[in-house]
Amino acid sequence: MSGIFGALIVLTLIKATPLIYAALGGVISERSGVVNIALEGMMATGAFTAVIVSYASHSALAGLLAAVLAGALVGLVLAIAATRFKVDQIVAGMGINLICSGAAAYGLVLIFNQPGASAQVPALGRQYWLLVLLAFALAVALQWVLQRTPWGLRVRACGENPRAAAAAGIDPLALRMWAVTYSGMLAALGGAFLSIGELNLYSDGMTAGRGFIALAAVIFGRWNPLGAAGAALVFGFFEALQYVLQGRIAWLPADAMQALPYLAALFALAGITGRVRAPASDGVPY
Amino acid sequence: MRRWLTGPVGAMVLVLALMSLAMIVAGTSPVDGFRALIVGALGGRNEIGETLVATSALLFPSLGVALAFRAGLFNIGAEGQLLIGALLAGAAGAQMHNAPWIAIVTMLVLGAIGGGVWGAIAGFMRARFGASEIISTLMLNFVAADFALALVNGPLKGPLATGAETAWLVPQYWMPTLLPQTRLSIGILIAIAIAIVLQWVLSRTVFGFELRACGDAPEAARRSGINIGRLTWIALSLSGAIAGVGGATIVAGELHRFNTQLSPGYGFTAIAVALVGDLQPLWICVAAFGFGILESGGLAMQAAAQVPKDAIHVIEGLIILVLAARRYVATRAEGTV
Repeated sequence: MSGIFGALIVLTLIKATPLIYAALGGVISERSGVVNIALEGMMATGAFTAVIVSYASHSALAGLLAAVLAGALVGLVLAIAATRFKVDQIVAGMGINLICSGAAAYGLVLIFNQPGASAQVPALGRQYWLLVLLAFALAVALQWVLQRTPWGLRVRACGENPRAAAAAGIDPLALRMWAVTYSGMLAALGGAFLSIGELNLYSDGMTAGRGFIALAAVIFGRWNPLGAAGAALVFGFFEALQYVLQGRIAWLPADAMQALPYLAALFALAGITGRVRAPASDGVPY
Repeated sequence: MRRWLTGPVGAMVLVLALMSLAMIVAGTSPVDGFRALIVGALGGRNEIGETLVATSALLFPSLGVALAFRAGLFNIGAEGQLLIGALLAGAAGAQMHNAPWIAIVTMLVLGAIGGGVWGAIAGFMRARFGASEIISTLMLNFVAADFALALVNGPLKGPLATGAETAWLVPQYWMPTLLPQTRLSIGILIAIAIAIVLQWVLSRTVFGFELRACGDAPEAARRSGINIGRLTWIALSLSGAIAGVGGATIVAGELHRFNTQLSPGYGFTAIAVALVGDLQPLWICVAAFGFGILESGGLAMQAAAQVPKDAIHVIEGLIILVLAARRYVATRAEGTV
């Protein structure tokens, strides 16, 4: 039995890692006052960019760095739309998700001459455990930054009351722009972990709603980095459980078991909302 | 005039400009590319039939998305609602032994019930617990896909099916063809009828007024005694039911059995269609035809202009991003993502 539990713990850590990165991205964006529905697209961008750069440069590390840069770029698009153009952040996020997944599908055809999935590329190998550790370290660091540094205080001020923040000499638009850009970098890192950490290729739809599960983790974690990381661990556990249980419960088909992480997020969402409070100006253009 | 330029008309101009750009980048003249697109979509009886099949498939979920949108709700689960509607219709149709019209009506009703229940889950979660319908509707897409796959790989798998498919419907249960020698069924007439009814409900009835009040001014709606919780789950149930009927028409009208691949993302394209149609049901019919042309002419364009069909999703996303600059609903209440 210990074999199963050991596998479950290891798998939970692996499955939670991309969720933690994306959820931290969600926290930083929403604490500054910008709802980030585009986490899913940012993850797809990170996953795809990591693969093509790793393919071209034969270096998984270069792929990882490129993924973070690409995530920053997508973050910047949402940031500019949300701050300079004051768009409906949810509609804009849905648009960005379609652009990212569509562009990746287009890119597969252009670069690998095949739809659906890329060729196999150099992956991070054993080093991906460093990314797992980094995810937890970043959760602790972000908690400290948000709660204990002047910049963190400014981010929270912009998320609660941007007018008051502006009166105190902060530029809420500039601050939100940075926060959303960082958000994109974090989510893209999570995406890159999926493609060149766990695997060694990109396939269409591989993010599979993880950006939205991460959003549920943000709410479940009450918009705190450590809370969101903890919630991501819970959802990661259910994803891992699904793999471990497959084939062990005869009456439950494997296809149905794949719904487990989504059902977990649904139940968590129903259980926690109403007992938590979002940043007061979350989603309100300034 | 300005509203139209910054809205649907501007969006169409943007689409044409971006597609031209994509073709130039790919090294073909836009004239050839667009000719291929138009010929591929409207060049003959079969092409027109396929374009209208796509129009019909897009119109149902688009109307559903728009209905929820007008009530201030973001239904990004039309894909799952459509799939569950199609699954119930296909499962029932393969088992029934009734008169054809009873079977067809039953399939459509079951489609509405399936999609409606799928929407109602999100509606109930939002109304009762305040859970974000954006996250829940999207999660339910995956739950729907996984359950459908489990069922058609298991108990509902057709006896002769090679993939994840139900058994064929007997030909008597196929919905009547609208355009002879094409796959176009009378499903599209149902879609247009729903659009007309929805336009009337939204603009001329108390219920429609209350829905719009929830979307435009939720606080004012609440204070004037409108039960927002009740309207939330009704709106999402109806939204899902319309998408679900659409799924049933695909099964009963065009495919004649359920398979898990029956929608290439109609539920997501529907968001773009609804926005381009300015959330007005009758304009959405026009927008759905436009996207139907892209959907069915896309393959021909792909061959002629070397622009992969996937590029269309990028264009749809850009349209949504640009149209996000317009205000559709009031700022959402706190804590709802």
